[in-house]
Amino acid sequence: MRSIRFRLQVLAFLAVTVTIYFAYETYRGQKESRKIQAELAKIPGVKAVVQEALIGNANLTTYRKLQNLRREFIKDKRRVDGLGWVVQAYAAHEPVKLQLQAQAFLSSETQYQSQLQTKLENRLAETQRSAFIAFFTSLLGILSIVAFVDRKIMGPLEGISRRMMDFLVDRYSFNFSHPEASEIGDLQRTFNSLAQRVINTMDELKNLDQAKSEFLNIASHELRTPLTSIKGSLSLLGSGVMGSMDANSTRLIKIAESETDRLIRLINDLLDLAKIEAGKLPLECEWVSWDDVLRKTTESLMGLAHRASGTIDFTLEPGIEVYMDRDRIQQVLTNLISNAIKFSPLGGVVRIQTGRTRSGEIIVRVIDQGPGIDPEDQQLIFQKFRQATSVANPLVKGTGLGLTIVKALVEEHGGRIGVESEPGQGSTFWFTLPKWREMVDETKPRYARAA
Amino acid sequence: MRILLAEDDTNISFITQICLEKIGGHQVVLCQDGQSALDQALREKFDLILLDGMMPKKSGVEVAQALFAAGIVNTPIIFLSAKSDQKDIAQFLSLGQGYIPKPFDPQTICDQIHAILQGPGAMAA
Repeated sequence: MRSIRFRLQVLAFLAVTVTIYFAYETYRGQKESRKIQAELAKIPGVKAVVQEALIGNANLTTYRKLQNLRREFIKDKRRVDGLGWVVQAYAAHEPVKLQLQAQAFLSSETQYQSQLQTKLENRLAETQRSAFIAFFTSLLGILSIVAFVDRKIMGPLEGISRRMMDFLVDRYSFNFSHPEASEIGDLQRTFNSLAQRVINTMDELKNLDQAKSEFLNIASHELRTPLTSIKGSLSLLGSGVMGSMDANSTRLIKIAESETDRLIRLINDLLDLAKIEAGKLPLECEWVSWDDVLRKTTESLMGLAHRASGTIDFTLEPGIEVYMDRDRIQQVLTNLISNAIKFSPLGGVVRIQTGRTRSGEIIVRVIDQGPGIDPEDQQLIFQKFRQATSVANPLVKGTGLGLTIVKALVEEHGGRIGVESEPGQGSTFWFTLPKWREMVDETKPRYARAA
Repeated sequence: MRILLAEDDTNISFITQICLEKIGGHQVVLCQDGQSALDQALREKFDLILLDGMMPKKSGVEVAQALFAAGIVNTPIIFLSAKSDQKDIAQFLSLGQGYIPKPFDPQTICDQIHAILQGPGAMAA
């Protein structure tokens, strides 16, 4: 039995027993010493009474004192006998005999006195030793229990706690190599198997994650390969490189081509979304001039707006840099602006505004003059495959994933996204980006904030 | 330009060849797998090598590495691939002049190639 509790109990029991035994010995020794001292103190009195009997004339008082002494000595036969002879001689009025008996008694009393003295000294020395042993054993007991607890409990506990901390920060130094057969050893063993389970689960998760990305990669490759052929064939036929076709055939080819494009976009969007959801789309963030991003994105969409007979109107916020993945934020802006163009009436104006929120974030608003969105649809449109049904201007057919991706990308940047709209009053899509700063480049002149 | 096109999918290689010849006016030598593309590139000189990412016998990346090992470093290499993994793309860009993602638009592939060859390391839009 090597349990820590048992060993601790044995240790405590030993210490307490030895201490109690010697403490009791001390107590007994003291009590006995006091008794001997009391006995010693009486002897001069006894001697005095006998002296009195020797010197004085016989009288009743002295006789009674002697009788009383005899009664007191009842336990000690030798002394009682000695005194008995004295009393007898005294009562018989025989001075010579009294003299002899009294002398004998007195010398035996003196002898007894010195015996008691020796006994008292021995007893006191013994008592002192016992007291010392009791004190020493209790001290030793306390010290050894403290040392034992420290070595066998506190030390290993600290070790376990350290390992747990390691686990928290993903350092897996989990193994207690030789747990001993004790409660702490049990704890270490339990910890080992728990840690093993965590590590196994982590490995499984890692494998699962790997399998998922492999599947995504293969699936996308396998989907894109046939699409490359379809798109290529249709595009070549449609371009007239292979010879001309009649109007209906050309239109059919164009339909097939645009639907192929949509399918390709859908696959790309789905893969993007899967990657974002799996956390596999690492943002490559850097400080980027904010109005540069806005201007470039807007300009790239002017063509689309003109084809829809609309215009884009934008206000800038110069002198600001935002920490972002440029490509991804451009993707967000492109999606929101092309949506706005898509839903605008002919000749409509899409307005893009930027500024700062009350909580100090950068905000962009994309405002259209479209049909607006019903309040109950306003949250739904950010979910997968939820599109507003009435598309006023079917220039770009959506995949139903655009806003879901946009939302995920904005949130990945630590921003928020939302829509404000009333049916018939147009819609305002907005999103925020939290990390920005004043431009550090002092060589460029500062402009007042453009209206 | 004399272009070596390595592509195992016969449909895609047929279409790409038409694009390059009819639209771009280039001369195309076609290979069906990585090994024969490598042999071909070692045998004659080309102005451009177009490599599919995944091919039998040798992948596009392996062909490019073998070409570098054989000392053919002056012929530009462009990868055509349906792979969209960041790691793969980074590898394509480190080994070749550029990368054109599949599915590509055959009408603009010549422009994309031209743009890549103009700006070294520039990625096709």
